[in-house]
Amino acid sequence: MSDRLTMEELAVLMKTAGITVDPTEMATRPDSAFDSYGLDSLGLLGIVGELENRRGRALPTDADRCKTPGEFLDLVNNSLMTGA
Amino acid sequence: MSSRTVITGIGVVAPNGIGADAFWKATQSGISVLDRVTRPGCEHLPLRVAGEVRGFDPGAMVEDRFLVQTDRFTHHALAAADLALEDARLGRADYEDEPFSIGVVTAAGSGGGEFGQRELQHLWEQGPRFVGPYQSIAWFYAASTGQISIRRGLKGPCGVVASDEAGGLDAFAHAVRGIRRGSRAMLAGATEAPLAPYSIVCQLEYEGLSTRDDPERAYRPFTAGACGYVPAEGGAMFVVEDEEAALARGATVRAVLAGHAATFTGTRRPDEAGEGLAHAIRGALREAGCAPEEIDVVFADALGTPQADAAEAAALADALGGHGRRVPVTAPKSGTGRAYCAAPALDTAAAVLALEHGVVPPTPNVFDVCHDLDVVTGGARPAELRTALILSRGRMGSNSALVVRKGPSAPA
Repeated sequence: MSDRLTMEELAVLMKTAGITVDPTEMATRPDSAFDSYGLDSLGLLGIVGELENRRGRALPTDADRCKTPGEFLDLVNNSLMTGA
Repeated sequence: MSSRTVITGIGVVAPNGIGADAFWKATQSGISVLDRVTRPGCEHLPLRVAGEVRGFDPGAMVEDRFLVQTDRFTHHALAAADLALEDARLGRADYEDEPFSIGVVTAAGSGGGEFGQRELQHLWEQGPRFVGPYQSIAWFYAASTGQISIRRGLKGPCGVVASDEAGGLDAFAHAVRGIRRGSRAMLAGATEAPLAPYSIVCQLEYEGLSTRDDPERAYRPFTAGACGYVPAEGGAMFVVEDEEAALARGATVRAVLAGHAATFTGTRRPDEAGEGLAHAIRGALREAGCAPEEIDVVFADALGTPQADAAEAAALADALGGHGRRVPVTAPKSGTGRAYCAAPALDTAAAVLALEHGVVPPTPNVFDVCHDLDVVTGGARPAELRTALILSRGRMGSNSALVVRKGPSAPA
């Protein structure tokens, strides 16, 4: 599905929080915490908001509580599937 | 434990220079950097002249993840804090084991206007879903203190003084208190960035804001041509330490924070403000154990309206007696603009540098003084300087005075 969230898009979104990451590298360790990239909770909240605006739909309310890129991708993509 | 609290590091981000050395070189030369306001979106506003910090590249000094969540006033603070810590040679390795021993206190008057305006424009143009979460923290007066604390790992007592422009001096008093309560060092100071369109519109109703369009005539305190002040951005941060602790780690003492006092005379009572300022001067002298005659130079508040200038001259005569008419008075801010809370912080930086160099910097664009004061005009004046008095008044009625003494001679 074209609106699935990928590591590439997540890396672009993280850039809006001032975090530069290599999506390929992030994909090799999806369970490394957002913390370890320097992304704080407000940063993730901003990413959720931006993603909701891009997709034009709401994400689950606990989306901004995800701790890792892997967890975030799973939650977002499951939600997009069930919503479709 | 020593009862003296000292300045060991100075970090400056000013319209006339970034870093204490560049700032001092420009300040003692007396060259004015006041110029037309060039910020986007400000072209149509009645404020024509200001002191912009033009040579500052935030991205060169502060990491992206701090830049995206902070306003320009905090960018100034983060950069100035780095410069101050570097000047004091106080690195993370020095306090990593005891992060709770160092705190941060700043003063702020205008907060994060540029960031706030951008997010509010998103709100009106696109709706609430387009306001970023960092709006919740970036506009806030305390943002600079918090971000310095987070970025540098300083977990000691943190605070922000919101007592109007005079808060820039009150921040030093809070830092001294922090040291007396057991902190070994404090980062203290103030920075501002009030030149976004929204911030300027807020200032248009300020009494004393000069809307003259000639940079050489827009801000001329203590003259018959006094027509108010022009605003500025930037500021200064300082490393303040207990003297014994500073010497024990081999730091150079740049100056001693000897005395401070603040008074409040209420809003819209300019007639009482002079009396309040005199009272603050007397209080600062008392705390410093300093006789009026010991003051070698005064860094004036210099609001630049005839009434406020007269009140300041009267306050100096009242608190210093005959010495008030003889002591050299300077207001370097007539060449950089008045950066609200950051103005007295920049004046304190200039005062410490003046004590170190034995030179009173001049008051740019001021030649025809019409008060009974020895205002230093034209060029810098060499003088033996041991003690400086720095004054600041807020437009809402706060008045503060700080006495700073020359540090012991730097080791050869």
